Amino acid sequence: MRGGPGIAVPKEAQETALLRAEKLTKRFGKLTAVDRVDYVLREGEVAGIVGPNGAGKTTFFNLLTGYHLPDEGSILYQGEEITRATPQKRVALGLMRTFQLTSTFDGLTVLDNLVLSYFRANRKATIPSLLRNTCRAFYNDHDIGTLLQMFELDHLRHRMVRHLSLGEKRRLEIAMAIVADPKVLLLDEPFAGLSEMEIRSVVGILREQARRRTIVVIEHKVSHLEGLVDRLTVMHEGRIIADGEFEECLRDPEVRRSYWRVSEVT
Amino acid sequence: MSNTCDPAMRDLEANVPSLKRTLAERMLGTLKWWVGILVPFGVLGLAGWILPLPFVMEVLIFSIYTMACNFLLGRLGFISFGQPAYLAAGAYGTAFYLYYFGTDPYMGIVAGVLAGFVVSALAGAVFVRLRSDYFALVNLALTVIVFYMLQKVLAPITHGDNGLWFLDRMRNTPVLDITNPRQLALLIWLVAVALWAFYKYIDGTIFGACCLATKTNEDKVKFLGYNDFAIRWTGFVLANTTAALAGSLYGIYFGFVSPEMASAARAADPVVVTILGGTGTLYGPLVGALAYVGMKDLVSRLVGNWEFFVGLLLVTVMLAGEKGIWGTLQPIAQRWVGRWVSESRE
Ligand SMILES: Nc1ncnc2c1ncn2[C@@H]1O[C@H](COP(=O)(O)OP(=O)(O)OP(=O)(O)O)[C@@H](O)[C@H]1O
Ligand SMILES: [Mg+2]
Repeated sequence: MRGGPGIAVPKEAQETALLRAEKLTKRFGKLTAVDRVDYVLREGEVAGIVGPNGAGKTTFFNLLTGYHLPDEGSILYQGEEITRATPQKRVALGLMRTFQLTSTFDGLTVLDNLVLSYFRANRKATIPSLLRNTCRAFYNDHDIGTLLQMFELDHLRHRMVRHLSLGEKRRLEIAMAIVADPKVLLLDEPFAGLSEMEIRSVVGILREQARRRTIVVIEHKVSHLEGLVDRLTVMHEGRIIADGEFEECLRDPEVRRSYWRVSEVT
Repeated sequence: MSNTCDPAMRDLEANVPSLKRTLAERMLGTLKWWVGILVPFGVLGLAGWILPLPFVMEVLIFSIYTMACNFLLGRLGFISFGQPAYLAAGAYGTAFYLYYFGTDPYMGIVAGVLAGFVVSALAGAVFVRLRSDYFALVNLALTVIVFYMLQKVLAPITHGDNGLWFLDRMRNTPVLDITNPRQLALLIWLVAVALWAFYKYIDGTIFGACCLATKTNEDKVKFLGYNDFAIRWTGFVLANTTAALAGSLYGIYFGFVSPEMASAARAADPVVVTILGGTGTLYGPLVGALAYVGMKDLVSRLVGNWEFFVGLLLVTVMLAGEKGIWGTLQPIAQRWVGRWVSESRE
């Protein structure tokens, strides 16, 4: 396993870390949105990230997935340095994300949205291959059908996505990420805009998915993460102020001070 | 001997009805597909015996020219005010070959398409990275440059405003003789039908879906792991090579090219015709070209300023819901001729 020179990593942690951020920093002008963040994601865990508005949670995801490049620090994935890799490269390595503002293809049907994600993951995504294959050929695909049913989108399969409700679009976006069978699933506020019933159903799906992949969930309301995540990270003003076991994290006095929502919930 | 105890065999037998059904559906689908091509183009082809042949040919060539713009605008979300550059690339590729090198008009078409491919491949490598408003203008700039090159810089070989005449240099060809107007019309018809079928096919491919996806949400295309640049570049090159093919056919049809072809004054025409016909619809370019060339030929015979009427029609169409002529007629046509005129994607 490779470790960059000068990066002192305990041997044991090195072996279990799937994704590792070191001193990750992102500034927007004077504002430091992500401030020297060290973060280790272990294979198979379900991790939650909470923090008030503007804490830097989304920016952290943006750095991990290549939406922004960091000003300082590095990102290692399975021991490989991916700090400045393109988003495409990171997706190919198995990192898949959703966006805080749902991001789907409005001009396509539900089915075509899923087919696009599925195709990239399961076939060659070269231009000749894109030209040779029709979307229709995947309409009866087993994996896609399973996900449509899992997310209760089956009755909407031929509906244009622009006609879907926000909750339906969110479920679709998560389904699009899962259908690509990623190693790491990064979800940015997946429950925002969902009804309590929808949240319960998505939490159920994620619990089930946790057996197959590593999951990181950004969430505002800590209560939604209860019973889902093994581990909680609290961010505040660009820094990680607590990181550890769920209950323990919430008892942390600094967390209580800087993140009143947490103390309110617990 | 019965094989039904073999599980694989039993499976197959259970599936036979559905297999039959799929086969029937397939055949019906293919039939619809052919009817969808042959009805509109067939009508126009037959019209070649009633309407003046030059009119039909111009409609067909203009519809090819518009298909390119329609793909750019309707599928990739690129609005280009510089299509004459690619039209002229095709026309001059053909003209150079037929004027200086050979006499086979088919080779002339190949030369035109190659020229269009080279120009759009190079331009596309830079242009598709631009924001859409800059994209519109940079294409216009290219058109102005191409016009100037053809008129002034390359005058020793293009003969400037005098243009290149090669009508008598084209030799007779076997099978479809391009020098015979009726057979040329048939060739243009075949090319238009083939391109229509090609774009319909593209619409149903993963590539077609990727193009529509980049149009509305470029970021998401990247974060699904696709190379969005390669997708836009390929789409751009496909479309503008098609525009060059239209230019090449114009060249063959007139037996003459001049820098006029790259005139910036005509740069908005394909965009206007695309919107007029119905952006992103498969029949839009044909319907738009028919309306446009029809106005140009018929209205100009009655009154002076035909462009005024095209403008009036465009405004009417835009106010009527921005769906274009075909976008408005499609639901009506669907009721009349059935499901096969339905578009695969809106
Ligand atoms: N592209 C950008 N340009 C400038 N500033 C940005 C940009 N993205 C984020 N910021 C700023 O960085 C800070 C952190 O934002 P970020 O979106 O990461 O917070 P967050 O924790 O996800 O908050 P929320 O809960 O509201 O989603 C905010 O102050 C935000 O205004
Ligand atoms: Mg956020």
